[in-house]
Amino acid sequence: MTYQLTIEPLGETLAVEKGQTMLDACLRAGVWLPHACGHGLCGTCKITVLEGEIAHNEASSFALMDFERNEGKALACTATLEADTVIEAEIDDDIDARHIPIRDFRGVIEDRRMLTDDILGLWLRLPDEGIDFQAGQYIALFVPGIEAPRSFSIASPPSQPNLIELHIRLVPGGQATSWLHHHAQPGMELRFTGPYGRFYIRKSAGLPKLFLAGGSGLSSPQSMIIDLIEQDDPLPITLVHGARAPKDLYNMGLFQELAVHHPNFRYIPAVSGDISGWSGEIGLVHEVIQRLYDGRFEGHQAYLCGPPPMIDACIMTLMRGRLFEHHIFNEKFVTPADAEQARSPLFKRI
Amino acid sequence: MNTPNPNERLRKLSLKERYAHLTRGLDWQPTYQDKKKIFPFTDYEGIKIHDWDAFEDPFRLTMDSYWKYQAEKERKLYAVIDSFAQNNGQMNISDARYINALKIFITAVSPLEYAAHRGFAHVGRHFEGVGPRIACQFQAIDELRHAQTQIHTISHFNKFFDGLHDPLHMYNRVWYLSVPKSFFEDAITAGPFEFLTAVSFSFEYVLTSLLFVPFMSGAAYNGDMATVTFGFSAQSDESRHMTLGLEIIKFMLQQDEGNVPIVQKWIDKWFWRGYRLLSIIAMMMDYMLPKKIMSWKEAWEMYFEQGGGALFNDLSRYGIRLPKYHEVAKAEKDHYSHQAWSTFYQYSHASAFHTWTPSEEEMTWFAEKYPASFNQLYRPRYDYWAKAEADGKRFYNNGLPQLCQVCQIPTFFTEPTDPTRISTRTKIYNGERFYFCSDGCHDIFEDEPEKYLQSWLPVHQILQGNCGGTTVPEVLDWYHLNQGADNFDYLGSPDEALWENWQSARKRVIAS
Repeated sequence: MTYQLTIEPLGETLAVEKGQTMLDACLRAGVWLPHACGHGLCGTCKITVLEGEIAHNEASSFALMDFERNEGKALACTATLEADTVIEAEIDDDIDARHIPIRDFRGVIEDRRMLTDDILGLWLRLPDEGIDFQAGQYIALFVPGIEAPRSFSIASPPSQPNLIELHIRLVPGGQATSWLHHHAQPGMELRFTGPYGRFYIRKSAGLPKLFLAGGSGLSSPQSMIIDLIEQDDPLPITLVHGARAPKDLYNMGLFQELAVHHPNFRYIPAVSGDISGWSGEIGLVHEVIQRLYDGRFEGHQAYLCGPPPMIDACIMTLMRGRLFEHHIFNEKFVTPADAEQARSPLFKRI
Repeated sequence: MNTPNPNERLRKLSLKERYAHLTRGLDWQPTYQDKKKIFPFTDYEGIKIHDWDAFEDPFRLTMDSYWKYQAEKERKLYAVIDSFAQNNGQMNISDARYINALKIFITAVSPLEYAAHRGFAHVGRHFEGVGPRIACQFQAIDELRHAQTQIHTISHFNKFFDGLHDPLHMYNRVWYLSVPKSFFEDAITAGPFEFLTAVSFSFEYVLTSLLFVPFMSGAAYNGDMATVTFGFSAQSDESRHMTLGLEIIKFMLQQDEGNVPIVQKWIDKWFWRGYRLLSIIAMMMDYMLPKKIMSWKEAWEMYFEQGGGALFNDLSRYGIRLPKYHEVAKAEKDHYSHQAWSTFYQYSHASAFHTWTPSEEEMTWFAEKYPASFNQLYRPRYDYWAKAEADGKRFYNNGLPQLCQVCQIPTFFTEPTDPTRISTRTKIYNGERFYFCSDGCHDIFEDEPEKYLQSWLPVHQILQGNCGGTTVPEVLDWYHLNQGADNFDYLGSPDEALWENWQSARKRVIAS
């Protein structure tokens, strides 16, 4: 049994299991709420219930007093849902967020092409007005015969609402990705919902942008970069795309072409493993940026997309180089194992 | 495609924005006085702040709602205290030995709450930025409330048990209470940023669970509902206190790269200072709770090694590493509580709480919780003392111990690598030799020798004749220690006699 929890002012909606606390559900879904003690004593995670029904459970009567309960307050770390619920939390809204409603879509596969040995490019044609999304967001794709949908970032820009591009890496032993790799053919219809996620361009800050992508994590940055260029954003844009071997650096031609025509865009492909015949940058993404920027990143905005170890290493390098959470954005598809990794309340998103 | 998005509505202001509108621009800019003269302590520690507005308010609370919340908490707490008194709750605790944990709390912890009130009031005046200043002012009021509610709660036990009658006087004079007192005075006499690193971060955030969980869960397990309730009441303020600790650390680390080594040095120092202070809690947890919650070793593993590990893992992104000598604390966890209790056992004639030899049942528990150390090292000692006591020769140590110049604890800890050898370090400074219990305390002295050579060391003060006289009874009088009642072993104490009297009265009622 699951209920829907909507978190204002983000407008984000997520599923909460019966008996699961709101805080647990939010943190696992990548939505940070203020919290500290984690067991109903300190009151740091106090939120307001706007609609719905909750159970307070073990909330201390000092951390959450009777008059507050009457006013609709609850502690996210102990409260569980009894119905679909809307809460307001003390989190920052973002003027760059567009809060686009999530909808159901049916797309027809228009094309499929292997981008590397293990990354499949898939193009879906959408009818009518297509999908409205912010560059960087993802969709939840239903794969025939598999119950839970899988998340894939949209690699094409929002200017193409009727034809979206997905980059699908074959996950070893992964049912959904292997079905897509082996069976997805032009003409097939696929169902999905979206757009999701809070990985989008924070344009209002007016800062030069550094995109760091690892493997198939190129998808969101590709959409974001094309979107920025289409909007004639004059600020410097750098893309570092890391892969093990030169043959894994897909869409190289696309980015080289963009760099030629747009002097504010710089493209840096980097190889960390098999470097035979490679004359470009060598090393993991965080090592490359360390060299490229001489370890100083103040005054930039960084957008990170890729496997968790790459993201963690890049965050470490960026922060040691004096770029902090406020200017670092990432899309880390959180697996249950990642969510269980012990973290302190020091950071909100990264 | 370009249809208007119904979700792009006129946005309601977020709580944070509403708070900013309410508080923005309330600080004044001086015109005829130099700002440096108004805030003389901002710079000298070497912390560089470029933008005070970048400080994230750790909580958004108005004075109006603050009073409303706190008044409600008080009403609830005092209702529990009243009903505890009316129902003679003191008779329903697990055992009168438990009261000794409260004696330590009221003499060693509650005065720290008051000292924290003073400390936060001070920095609440002296921070140049309005954000941290307000946060500190709220906390100053909280700490005063904590001291008061603790004194009110525990005063009920003072009607029946010894050693609770004059905590603030004792805090200023009694030899072992110079440990918490000197800890806090070290923090208060530091600059405002070091004070917050010491108290808000190292103590309230990193080590707080190790202080509060033993006392509050200990109270809950041992039938003391009044103390549990003030614990909850205080802990509900902790959200603000802990968040202030985290925010101030992030603020310093982000504002200037030059702040990183300064903050690391303070984290090293205050981790060690706080850890040494917790030795008294370790002994309380393991020995003074008749019904036990968890061992010191388990608590250290859960709250520091795991919880602190996650925090320092995150802090490493700023270039901050685990505090120096954390590995010594890890090595000492098998010994810490046993060595502290053994020391107080020997000096019970000069303390305002009782000690005793642990029961066979307790020693079985220790052997299970401390398989690497208890049976080999500590059980033989207790067996020996129990035998001496049975022979009418209860052991008291009449010598005065060597105190560590920094933490002021007798130098009873052993070498981290060899639990059969006492750890002592010395250092000659300006022709005088100073003694320390550990490398941690030695390094703290070495960094600021001029501060620590002023330490008011109780043993030195007694020998210099500054503590009421030259004999133990004269010194104990000067401490306001009620001799023959507050001190010595629990066995034979008035506390024991009273408790046994209550227990036999209860048996008579059941029998009749």
